[in-house]
Amino acid sequence: MDVLLSGQLAFSVAVLGAVYAVVGLGLNLVYGTMRLLNVGHGELVMLGAYVAFWGFTLAGLSPLLGAPVAALLAALLGLALYGGLFRRMLEADGAGGRLEANSLLVFLGLSVVLQNASALAFTASPRAIRHLDEVIRVGGVAMTENRLAILLVAVAACAGTILLLRLGIHGLAIKALIDNRRAARIVGVDVDRTQRLSIALGFGLAGLAGALLAMIEQISPFMGFPYTVAAFVVIVLGGLGRLAGGVAAGFVLAAVQVYGVALTAPTYASVLLYGVFVAVLVLRPQGMAGARARP
Amino acid sequence: MLKGTIAAAALAAALGLGAQAEAADPVRIGFSIAQTGLFSQAAPSQMTAYEMWRDEVNAAGGLDVAGERRVIEFVWYDDESNPTKAAQIYEKLISDDKVDLLLAPWGTPTHLAIAGVVEQHQFPVVGNTAASVAVRDVAPGNIWFPTSAIPDRIGPELAKLAKSAGVTSVAVIANVLPFSQENLQFLIPALEAEGIAVKVNESYPPDIADMTTLLTQIKDAGVDGVIALSYPADSFLYMGQAKEIGIAAPFQFLLVGPTISAFADAFGAGADGIVTLGHWSPYQAAWPKAKPFYDAYVAKFSMRPDYLDTALAYMSCEILQQAVAVAGLDKAKLRETIAGTTFDTINGPVKFEGVQNAVTPTAFLQLQGGEMHLVWPAEIATSAFKAR
Amino acid sequence: MRRMGPAALLALLAAAAAVPWLAGPYGVTVATSAAMWVALTVSWSLLGGTTAYISLGHVVFYGLGAYLVAATWGDVPLWLAILGAGGLAGAFALLVGLPVLRVKGPYFVILTLGLAELVKHLVLNLEAGLGASSRLLFGAPGGTTLYAGMLALAVLSIALAWWVRGSRLGRGLAAIREDETAAETVGVPIARFKVAAYALSAVVPGMVGGLAALRSTYFEPTQAFSPVVSFTIVTMAIVGGSGGVAGPLMGALLLFAASELLWASFPQVYLIGLGVLLVGFVLFVPRGLAGFLPGARP
Repeated sequence: MDVLLSGQLAFSVAVLGAVYAVVGLGLNLVYGTMRLLNVGHGELVMLGAYVAFWGFTLAGLSPLLGAPVAALLAALLGLALYGGLFRRMLEADGAGGRLEANSLLVFLGLSVVLQNASALAFTASPRAIRHLDEVIRVGGVAMTENRLAILLVAVAACAGTILLLRLGIHGLAIKALIDNRRAARIVGVDVDRTQRLSIALGFGLAGLAGALLAMIEQISPFMGFPYTVAAFVVIVLGGLGRLAGGVAAGFVLAAVQVYGVALTAPTYASVLLYGVFVAVLVLRPQGMAGARARP
Repeated sequence: MLKGTIAAAALAAALGLGAQAEAADPVRIGFSIAQTGLFSQAAPSQMTAYEMWRDEVNAAGGLDVAGERRVIEFVWYDDESNPTKAAQIYEKLISDDKVDLLLAPWGTPTHLAIAGVVEQHQFPVVGNTAASVAVRDVAPGNIWFPTSAIPDRIGPELAKLAKSAGVTSVAVIANVLPFSQENLQFLIPALEAEGIAVKVNESYPPDIADMTTLLTQIKDAGVDGVIALSYPADSFLYMGQAKEIGIAAPFQFLLVGPTISAFADAFGAGADGIVTLGHWSPYQAAWPKAKPFYDAYVAKFSMRPDYLDTALAYMSCEILQQAVAVAGLDKAKLRETIAGTTFDTINGPVKFEGVQNAVTPTAFLQLQGGEMHLVWPAEIATSAFKAR
Repeated sequence: MRRMGPAALLALLAAAAAVPWLAGPYGVTVATSAAMWVALTVSWSLLGGTTAYISLGHVVFYGLGAYLVAATWGDVPLWLAILGAGGLAGAFALLVGLPVLRVKGPYFVILTLGLAELVKHLVLNLEAGLGASSRLLFGAPGGTTLYAGMLALAVLSIALAWWVRGSRLGRGLAAIREDETAAETVGVPIARFKVAAYALSAVVPGMVGGLAALRSTYFEPTQAFSPVVSFTIVTMAIVGGSGGVAGPLMGALLLFAASELLWASFPQVYLIGLGVLLVGFVLFVPRGLAGFLPGARP
């Protein structure tokens, strides 16, 4: 019982939740808003990790500084894809409803290309760096500096993004897009600009997450897929397009995993994660914070 | 007379050139490797060994095929970490591409998948990166396994090592994946037989993201040994989180992971003292080929070889090389030679009994000062076990 | 609905039947894989193609079938195990179908993914609990026998799809796709029909999984329940476009053929080529292959 209430466990939930939240938020901004089924989201995380790795290895650049670089590069990639592909696809949607299906193909193709190009360029051997790995004690809780940094930066990124969108006019525009795309256009929302912002932010957050993760994980070209799955689980649990809901869902899932394990046994960690996910959706088909789903 | 001499010289030169042209006919060696998919992280450790071997042999004039020197040419495909696809590829290599020789793919499931194919075609292959009691069920004759890291030996040997290191109680945590579970099955009884108390025995899923509860439990149990039957990802997670929680047990073992180059990069001196699976070290003076191999590998790839997989892959190449030098490409002779000879490898002598290596003992490595040393068994140890 | 004439299908079947005589042992293994993907994709379309409930976790049925065959290996005659595999998959679909199919649209897509992962981890835990770490399947039938089995399953899936399309169930499913609420109002028993389609779409993949387990001699849950299988099925179906039989059939065959060709020609970089192909496909063939067939209406 002490373990359950311990600050140590709470810290672990916070760190894991922050990662889930930031990865999920990125996907929510792409799938939740534009219904682009980005099954390559994890590959963006992977690219961010490599950016941080090479930055650190070649230039001694801390991943904390590499993170904004990774975010920027990922955002640029998103914008390029938007201009080259997605804008056309989004505009063509309405006839045949194949947007999601086609976007799945595009992103799948993209993820395959990214994985294999990375493998060719960097070899598939795993890489790792050592940075901020000292353990400090904060109020009786042991924290590895890099995990604390991940927590703080990820939370800041999520909070910053949501605040930016809530306070700025673009936030309203994105909300409008999520709620009703055609109406948004009629009402005068600059759909193109809003979509650009959304995809840039979405991709950027993924890149940022990857750079942070480089401090605590092995980096390899095929490391992305688990993050794709986690991101989807998080945003669906939170309600598609519900940005704050998705962030909350990230922490909920982390809590389920960590506290669930404390209450049962470590062997059930994944069963709990997916079990809770399935159960919640079956009971509440629109996710935790979603409105009654519109297909 | 001069004309005769010139004619004789010209004839000799022509004959010499002719002989060279014949010897240039390459010997085609086929295999599949997990370039993509679940195993793609581990496969490069094997692929690099193959490439290095090929380049070394070709630089020295080619592979000695029963007296004739021929350049090695690889014919390889990506099996996408899919054992079924690997079986298909070996079928293709044998029936369609008609390769002269075969090398093994990466991983236990893949080795087992191709065992049927090579058996059917009676085409001998020297395996390498396969480690399961299941290999003993493979019909002997066309595939051999040089590794000594088989779970039913790892268990008892590890228990003996722990005992000799003064361990009285352990916490055992294991990944749910088959290799870890197989090891767990043999380890627990072995520990109990050595009189070591198993205070924690937990399994965890392969995609575990947090070990806080587990490690707190271990710390609270106050054990002096932690045995983590882990895969690389969880080995990484363990190292970072164990440091955070403050696990101070003098004996810590991680099953798979520490032999990877990136492991030392990530943890530096913090990884010192970690014990892992492995039966090769460059520091074993009794194996004169070991250190030169290590140095050559580092020079070529700018990273350390994987002490388990890379060594095994290279050994399988050496065995093939030595067998082919004697038996040529004839499958029956090759089979006989591989089954009956004692080979001289970077890991010392290797001789097969049935499908298994009867010479190399089940051994363990320990990171000491950033270098991997053999600490068990005493016969091949390059250093004594040092408590963390 | 786009239709593929029975003549074309018979010709395809004749060609498929001739493979063991025309191709060598490697060719037979390739044809076996092709038949496998056809069986999986056409079966998937029973639900996903008709009602647009896109299941991204279809590997769960494949994996369950593989598990049953692996677990009963040696104890139960193979033909019985394969049938049992289909039965288990169908039963599982019936069991979870009702609650799962209440979830709609993108939520359903990810729910099925989560469900597949859940079952995978349950099986991993079960195997660990049973102490069964290496299930070996030595001595399994291979080569032409296996091909015949897989081909039979492909034919079965096509026959099933054909039957469903012409049946009351098929019409009901089409109505559900158009407008689920309206269909319900008109009296279509949507819950029953959806679950029926889901269960039907599960049976053949279960048997396919059982056969597939025989190809690799080693059952391992992470491989058997790999999401890559689910994603490949959906990709093939999307490439094929909608259409009861023609779409998924063509999608599976084309993508498989492209993949094999690329793999044989550019072994080291073929996946990159495949990725580029997929992206290009979307740009140039946005409605899928079925768009090229002469059809009654779009």
